Amino acid sequence: MLKRHLLVLAIASSCFSLSSFADENLFGYVKGSEVLPKDAVEFYQVVTQRSDKGTGHYTAYNTTTELEYGVSDRFTVAGELKGQKINTSGILIDGYMPGDESYGLRFGGAEVSGKYNFLSPALDNFGLSAMVGLDYLTLDPHSGRDKDSISIALDLQLQKYFMEGQLVWVGNIGTEATRATRAPIDNLPEGFEWPTEMEVEVEFSAGTGLSYRFAPNWYAGLETVYETEYETGVAMERYSVFAGPTLHYGGEKYWLTLTWFDQIRGGGETYEGQPSGLHLIEKTEQEIRFKVGLNF
Amino acid sequence: MRNLPFFLTLPAVVISSTAIVASAQAEDFLTVQQAQQVLFPQATLFLDSAISLSDAQLDNIKKIAGVRQRQKVQKAWRAENKGELLGWFLVDDVIGKHDFITYGTAISVDGKVLGVEILSYRETHGGQVRQPQWRSHFVGKTLQDKFKLGQDIPNISGATLSCRNVTDGIKRLLAIHQIALSSAVINPAGITPTPPA
Repeated sequence: MLKRHLLVLAIASSCFSLSSFADENLFGYVKGSEVLPKDAVEFYQVVTQRSDKGTGHYTAYNTTTELEYGVSDRFTVAGELKGQKINTSGILIDGYMPGDESYGLRFGGAEVSGKYNFLSPALDNFGLSAMVGLDYLTLDPHSGRDKDSISIALDLQLQKYFMEGQLVWVGNIGTEATRATRAPIDNLPEGFEWPTEMEVEVEFSAGTGLSYRFAPNWYAGLETVYETEYETGVAMERYSVFAGPTLHYGGEKYWLTLTWFDQIRGGGETYEGQPSGLHLIEKTEQEIRFKVGLNF
Repeated sequence: MRNLPFFLTLPAVVISSTAIVASAQAEDFLTVQQAQQVLFPQATLFLDSAISLSDAQLDNIKKIAGVRQRQKVQKAWRAENKGELLGWFLVDDVIGKHDFITYGTAISVDGKVLGVEILSYRETHGGQVRQPQWRSHFVGKTLQDKFKLGQDIPNISGATLSCRNVTDGIKRLLAIHQIALSSAVINPAGITPTPPA
């Protein structure tokens, strides 16, 4: 059983995450400003577990398999495949969670992105990059139901080295615009709303992280991300602040990153009876992300 | 929380395996003795002359080089040919992206870089730092010269942090030479550094 789960996860890593990455990732969620050198290739496998909506049962696995290529010393392109596995029961939230859903790993979408480096943190003392991504999803990450969405995202990454690189700070700021349409569902509960007309969402995000190399190859860090989303007909739909520790191993041929992310504050749309001070409709109480990167 | 034990099985297995094999990945290119012979081929004796640096000297090194000296004891050897001082051989570690980069630097009696050899380099990118062409840019440098990466010393893409730290490290070794070696007195216990200026 465990073997089967691991296999599912490994394949699942091929399919979902909430963003693209460039170069070695010291953090699970926030991104550094560095890019790959010309002609370098990196392969990424990412698994994110999202769990606990404060009631019922909710566990989802999102996976991403990504390939990055250094077009030049300043410009990196990436393509990724996403997947999703979900198991939820006992949660009914009008307009968002139409009922129980459970399936194994499914294809969830694809993303292409480009990252351009303006300033190098080691050469110019302060790193600055911009990333543009185009994302297509076939599954709703929250309910797990069919939903076509296309997003375009623009992010800025800042990075600073301290203590000759032993301490690394990164800061991110970004925005994403999404156009989405849900597929109709049969046998909805009486009076349950499930809008199938096209909706538009705009998300703003900011994050920061600090990572310290405590032994050769090993970094320990803390990171936090703030996100807020505005949607057609709802205005501010949600905001959330996640924070947590990150452990990173970086070797010559591969690297690993493990992040525990806990929602420490949230708001916006709520459902009746949910724990206060959190947004649990489109977010969960915890996320855990594991990444593996291979260098070629 | 409910799925935490299962979910962490995969990373726990991978990370623990990584920790076990990590040390086996280390790759050294030259030993200290080999690097000494390459940089001072005419030397007949390398006298271990490790330098114990005082707090005042550490401050002075940072002031001159612009970067901190991390170790209080600097590994150094006096290179001689039949009693004649040829120069100094210093071995240093600087921070790479993943691991320490160990390199040796030969400095002449009058404070010029005679050569640099990379003893170990374990980073993903930037293996070019081992190539003589890149290291040759340091030859002849003195403390009066500029050490700006990307201008005076070429940068290697994908290994910018490594290049910067090696470049800064060599300037720091020249500062140590000026402070502790240029008029040092040998005794059986090693170098007795001259007092800071």
